[in-house]
Amino acid sequence: MAAKPKIAICWLGGCGGCDEAVVDINEVILRFVDDAELVLWPIALDYKYHHVAAMGNGEISLAIVNGNIRNSENEEIARLLRAKSQLVLAFGACACLGGTPGLANLGTKEEIFNWVYRDAPTVVNRKGNVPQPKSHVSGKELTLPELYQQVYPLDQVIDVDYYLPGCPPPPDLVVNALTAVLEQKLPSKGSRLAPHKSLCDTCKRNQTKPVHIIMNDIKRVHEVEASPDTCFLAQEILCLGIATRGGCGEACININLPCRGCFGPVEGVEDAGAKFISAIATMLNAESDADVQRLVNKIVDPVGYFYRFSLPASSLRRRRPE
Amino acid sequence: MTKSITINPITRLEGHGKIEIFLDGKGNVEDAYWQVVELRGFEKFCVGRPVEEMPRIASNVCGVCPTPHNMAATRAVDDIFSVEPTPTAKLIRQLQYNAFVVEDHYIHFFFMSAPDFIVGTSAKPAERNILGLINKVGLDTGGKVIEIRKKCRDIIRLISSKPPHPEGGLPGGVSRGITENERVWIKKTADDTVKFAQSTLKLFKDTVLANKKYLELVLSEAYKLDTYYMAMVDDNNKLNFYEGKLRVIDPQGKQYALFEPREYVDHVGEWVEPWTYIRLTHLRKIGWNGLSDGKGTSLYRVGPLARLNVAEGMATPLAQKEYQEMFNTLGGKPSSHTLAYHWARLIEALQAAEDMQRIANDPLLTGKDIRNMNLKLKKVGIGCVEAARGTLIHHYETDDNGIVTRVNLIVATQHNAAPICLSVKKAAMEFVKGAEVKEELLDMVEMAFRAYDPCLACATHSLNGKMPLVVNIRDLERNIIRTISRS
Amino acid sequence: MNDFEPKLVCFSCKFGWGYLGDESSLSSQIKSWIPIICSGKVDTNHIIAAFKRGADGVLILGCPEGDCHYQDGNFEARKRVHLLQKVLNVYGIEPERVRLELSIDPEGKRIPEMVRKMSETVKKLGPVKGAGEIQNPKS
Ligand code: SF4
Ligand code: SF4
Ligand code: SF4
Ligand code: FES
Repeated sequence: MAAKPKIAICWLGGCGGCDEAVVDINEVILRFVDDAELVLWPIALDYKYHHVAAMGNGEISLAIVNGNIRNSENEEIARLLRAKSQLVLAFGACACLGGTPGLANLGTKEEIFNWVYRDAPTVVNRKGNVPQPKSHVSGKELTLPELYQQVYPLDQVIDVDYYLPGCPPPPDLVVNALTAVLEQKLPSKGSRLAPHKSLCDTCKRNQTKPVHIIMNDIKRVHEVEASPDTCFLAQEILCLGIATRGGCGEACININLPCRGCFGPVEGVEDAGAKFISAIATMLNAESDADVQRLVNKIVDPVGYFYRFSLPASSLRRRRPE
Repeated sequence: MTKSITINPITRLEGHGKIEIFLDGKGNVEDAYWQVVELRGFEKFCVGRPVEEMPRIASNVCGVCPTPHNMAATRAVDDIFSVEPTPTAKLIRQLQYNAFVVEDHYIHFFFMSAPDFIVGTSAKPAERNILGLINKVGLDTGGKVIEIRKKCRDIIRLISSKPPHPEGGLPGGVSRGITENERVWIKKTADDTVKFAQSTLKLFKDTVLANKKYLELVLSEAYKLDTYYMAMVDDNNKLNFYEGKLRVIDPQGKQYALFEPREYVDHVGEWVEPWTYIRLTHLRKIGWNGLSDGKGTSLYRVGPLARLNVAEGMATPLAQKEYQEMFNTLGGKPSSHTLAYHWARLIEALQAAEDMQRIANDPLLTGKDIRNMNLKLKKVGIGCVEAARGTLIHHYETDDNGIVTRVNLIVATQHNAAPICLSVKKAAMEFVKGAEVKEELLDMVEMAFRAYDPCLACATHSLNGKMPLVVNIRDLERNIIRTISRS
Repeated sequence: MNDFEPKLVCFSCKFGWGYLGDESSLSSQIKSWIPIICSGKVDTNHIIAAFKRGADGVLILGCPEGDCHYQDGNFEARKRVHLLQKVLNVYGIEPERVRLELSIDPEGKRIPEMVRKMSETVKKLGPVKGAGEIQNPKS
């Protein structure tokens, strides 16, 4: 019998939801535990980073990495896993695109520290303490990883072989991806292991989407009682489905909320937000500067809508440093 | 000679955490630190977002307890728009919430903790995991755990999209109603869950309480901490996960404070230390008195045991009976035995299951009136829920247009952070004596903080029932002179 | 900051701007001048790419209202520019760095003049440094 392929699962700067997403394949997980040897899963298994460090380069068949690169420890582990693994799968929106926490790229580390440790209303910090990479408490040295100025998707730090989008990826795509690896039926390097077309393509509401959408207003989700059957865009509610890769099973649409783009751009598009800007601009029913401005003003948080999950992977990546 | 022991990485934190233990010249514990090594800055980057989007954004704070964040955000958004959800919407939210409490409490109990005390701490590591547990309790129970988790998560999916990242919740209501067909399977799940909750408590009592050695451990000094406790209660001082007032009791059980979540800033202070990214929460009016319990402490704990200590009873009949039995066994209220968190957790799961049943039987659940559209922006909103691991507070402020200008979040593990440091230190002091550092130390120290289920965002799933721990013993120059790890 | 010479990219619609002028003399006066057919063809990605490649400002010249050869290309451009300005502003790229002018100038004489005027505005804002660059984490 050939040796079982070794698989490592690891989370970096993420919320843990992607680890839950692996558990969410339920019974199926037992099958994979049989077919593969799990060599790292910090939340579940007894293997540590030093075990991985002791392995040969390329000894691990697949590293499934979720979360983004937020601090020095994340980076070290990402590099370690890259060196030891034949394949690296960026798992989930944080790893692929930066994810929601990537919105932090609109600000600086100092702004975060000032709020969290100084200005927040519950803070009592007479000594003006701030977490330090190295500190001394009664002569004893304590260390912390260093928070970086910005958030990086995985492929801005290490080479990534495959991407599994979603916040988090849905169970069926997780199973498909693992099966593809174990059966060695992987597509070409760099592929997203998800459908190529847009969410609209499978959305039930697509039939109600006019060919030319005309928006005389932009409505926020709390302002209207949205119809459960009509395309959100036809209801003047921003929905990112047109620029977002399908494959989530229309999770948000099913609960009558518009898409916010966690699957990232459709095939062949780098910057989903930019594509969405062009598409939405066309829909705005306005000609004069004043009318255009009025409608644009109603899109109260364009970056938060268009780049909610993908800011660090967008063309501009972060707010320009002052 | 001063030595230090590093336990790194420990996990089940908002990402990553570690423990540093310092020994004095005789090799006894002088100090121990539990460090949270990560910060993502949610409070800052939520600024600028439209406040009605917060329920969808905040659930990304933590994928282990995403529903509490989603719900605290939804309730803060209700508050900021001065609106109450319709009766149907409230039932739907509570249904999602209870389903979450059930599945989360069980994943913690069965996958993480139970291997320790049902399989037993003396079992080989290879058996001390969920698979070993299944061997011990039988495949039926094991399969049932997976099934109940799946079904409860299906309820969350139905109401709020992806269970690890719920997106539902709107000011004054919910985005989607429940049909009669759906109610039928929800009711079946609720009935199953109540039965399962009862059998789990029976299992716990039969295997754990019957085990003298473990009970001794529960009641031992190493796992005892005298602190205040905080939790949310209803008008009758019964436990409520979804709404109510915050009540604080002192270490003797006397009411110390009772206040609206809106007034939390008057009561809750947060200390900052250079060696951890987490803010150390304490009772503001007493003031920060350092990492100490007992007399003069300003520390309080939250979570299952705290809730049962604070409440004068459970809100549902079956859970109430269990509640009485627990405190009888532990020798009265409040209980300061950290390991009793596990027992409390199971009793809470029963209340949540019973409450699911109540909701599933309520004809209003399938009502069509799911949104209260009477919104009036008042620019400050505070939402509070009892998350699986303790009190969770979301505080938002906006401009005239409902765009977020300030966010303050206090999560369960923040409240518990200082007590966790203390619990770790106490356990370390008890078990690390003299120069000899035994491997069991790791288990014992680990148990001290695992009881809190310190959710700093990671899955509570544990195939081996163990956390990856490495203890490095270092000399003064911080050279590693010995490494203990379990493999 | 005084010796800072802003880099501007100028897209101009051939139907409205400079079609009677001497293209080679114009292009020697205007660095990064890109004559196009219809301002509506300037996509958000082109503008973003300009900033990524080091531009400090982008000037788009389109036909007057009602005179676009593609009916509403210039109106499309206007909507896109307004929306993009709002987005870029959040990225720290000020709205003044993108400008759309709908007018006509067959000789194209005003183009160098407009570029110069916009350069002055942009000069006050300073350079856009390293837009979209991947910073070294440690720095
Ligand atoms: S992609 Fe979503 S679920 Fe996964 S770690 Fe990031 S925030 Fe959590
Ligand atoms: S825009 Fe949204 S609602 Fe409309 S068809 Fe696409 S995904 Fe569905
Ligand atoms: S609808 Fe959009 S935001 Fe929601 S899960 Fe699907 S891709 Fe993600
Ligand atoms: S043809 Fe000149 S702007 Fe369209």
